[in-house]
Amino acid sequence: MGQRSSSSVGVLAAAAAGTWDRFWFTPTTAGRLAVVRALAGLLGILLAWSWAGDLDAWFGPDGIVSPQVLGAWRSPTALSLFDVARSSAVLWALFLVGVGLLGMLAVGVWTPIAAPLAALFWASLLHRGPMLVGPADDVLAVILWCLVVGRSGDAFSVDRRLAAAEARASWRNGLALALLRLHASVIAAAAVVAQLKADVWWNGTAAWWLAARESTRIDLTGLLAGSEIATNFVTHGIVLFEIAFAVGVWNRWTRGPVARAALVAWPLIGLVAGEPMWGAAMAILAWACLPDDSAAGTAGPPL
Amino acid sequence: MARHHTPDRDDRRRPPGAPMPPEGCAPTGPEEGAARGLVPAAEALPEALRGPASLLLGLYVVGLVLCVAGNTASGTSLLIGTVKDRLFAPWMVPLWLDLGHDTRLTYGLPEDADHHLEIRLAGKQAGKGVGQPTAALRLPAQGDHSERATRWRRLAAAAVLAEEDAEQAGVLPAAIGAGAFAAAGADDLEIRVVRSVPPDYASARSPRITETALEVRVRRRDGEVHLIPMPPAEEVAPLIDAASAPGGGN
Repeated sequence: MGQRSSSSVGVLAAAAAGTWDRFWFTPTTAGRLAVVRALAGLLGILLAWSWAGDLDAWFGPDGIVSPQVLGAWRSPTALSLFDVARSSAVLWALFLVGVGLLGMLAVGVWTPIAAPLAALFWASLLHRGPMLVGPADDVLAVILWCLVVGRSGDAFSVDRRLAAAEARASWRNGLALALLRLHASVIAAAAVVAQLKADVWWNGTAAWWLAARESTRIDLTGLLAGSEIATNFVTHGIVLFEIAFAVGVWNRWTRGPVARAALVAWPLIGLVAGEPMWGAAMAILAWACLPDDSAAGTAGPPL
Repeated sequence: MARHHTPDRDDRRRPPGAPMPPEGCAPTGPEEGAARGLVPAAEALPEALRGPASLLLGLYVVGLVLCVAGNTASGTSLLIGTVKDRLFAPWMVPLWLDLGHDTRLTYGLPEDADHHLEIRLAGKQAGKGVGQPTAALRLPAQGDHSERATRWRRLAAAAVLAEEDAEQAGVLPAAIGAGAFAAAGADDLEIRVVRSVPPDYASARSPRITETALEVRVRRRDGEVHLIPMPPAEEVAPLIDAASAPGGGN
């Protein structure tokens, strides 16, 4: 009896270890991760562009976000390369180098070097002006660090065209995609938890509060004002989708449909919420969640 | 007893009923191809590294969960805060990974409305200039939907929100004023944060309500920046009783 139960525990432990191994370490070709890399690089350039117009006004020698302001806002363990920029010229030089790194990431030039440096640049930029940072910046930071882990330059890149040897499936790509999937699920789950603390997400009027803001990119006020049922439908639809995404990416049957739906749903939510870049960043994460056939072909079925 | 044969991946790719390939034909799968030196073999994590890598990943997952739990708008427990700050924040904060991801989108509260920053000349020069002082500090126009305008809105909202924090209160308005002195060509400015609050759903056809969330005067004297709070107009305006006022009550 005791022997049987200990052996069944052993079987369960072995199964769990196998699942853990398959999830994190399955060798995977670089195609899907390379698309994430290219899209993240482009999104990074777009987001960086939004800092460029006011770089001096915010971070310049006489800028608004002075070291005193940062002292009140920033964690003591935070660091930024931009802290050393005491002149406008150095500030711009650092910024343009960073944008160049994002460009290199987008097209895949020297990717193993560009990826960590681009992530470092992005974290530094956000630490320089934490009160200006939005959810799209946060998600992009996560994506960039995940890209550091993988070999995203092995496909759809200048590196690939210049390489002599053929790229091979790598556990690093599988690990990067697994990290992206984990974060996608956690971010969606955290958003749901945050939203469900407020009455407007329960009484179904949150969609109205989003749509009626000046910053919304899709004017749904006419539609929503005319139908409370439609307002409730959009509100509950957003919550249900986020729950479905957070949970669905973990099941092999639901993962594909949920991730494909998310490619459309996240940008739409972003537009309604006035955060289109966040919607785009979440869509990139959704792309990373799509099932990868190459992984199934090399090391057994993924989760 | 004949053992049940589980078809390998190459078998699955072969159409049903197709003949087995003869020896020496082209490989049909990555492993087979790799063995013959035609397709590069998959790069697997060495067995010896799986344990340490799993340990690091487990630690990271714990850190991720603690960061989410420790960065909510509702606050966090002392236990979670302490563990996160001691073990994870020192390396997750510099990487900008100490994130709560609590993207609430809206709570339908005034602080979720769009905030705008206004800078005006104050003191003796009041009324001579309004809004955007010079090209050096270009505030986004009303209705600007760009990401740049969104960042200015965040700055304005952060200035209002910070008034509830003893350490941060007044810091941003003073900094905005100080940053605008040169652009405005003046040492006495009025900083206002105005928010455009949507109407309730019950009165959806009504226009948005514009309200002043923060109003301060920022002045520089002898190189020092002074922040002078400006109370709301209704607190300083005299209340006139129509009946007792001269000429009233007719």
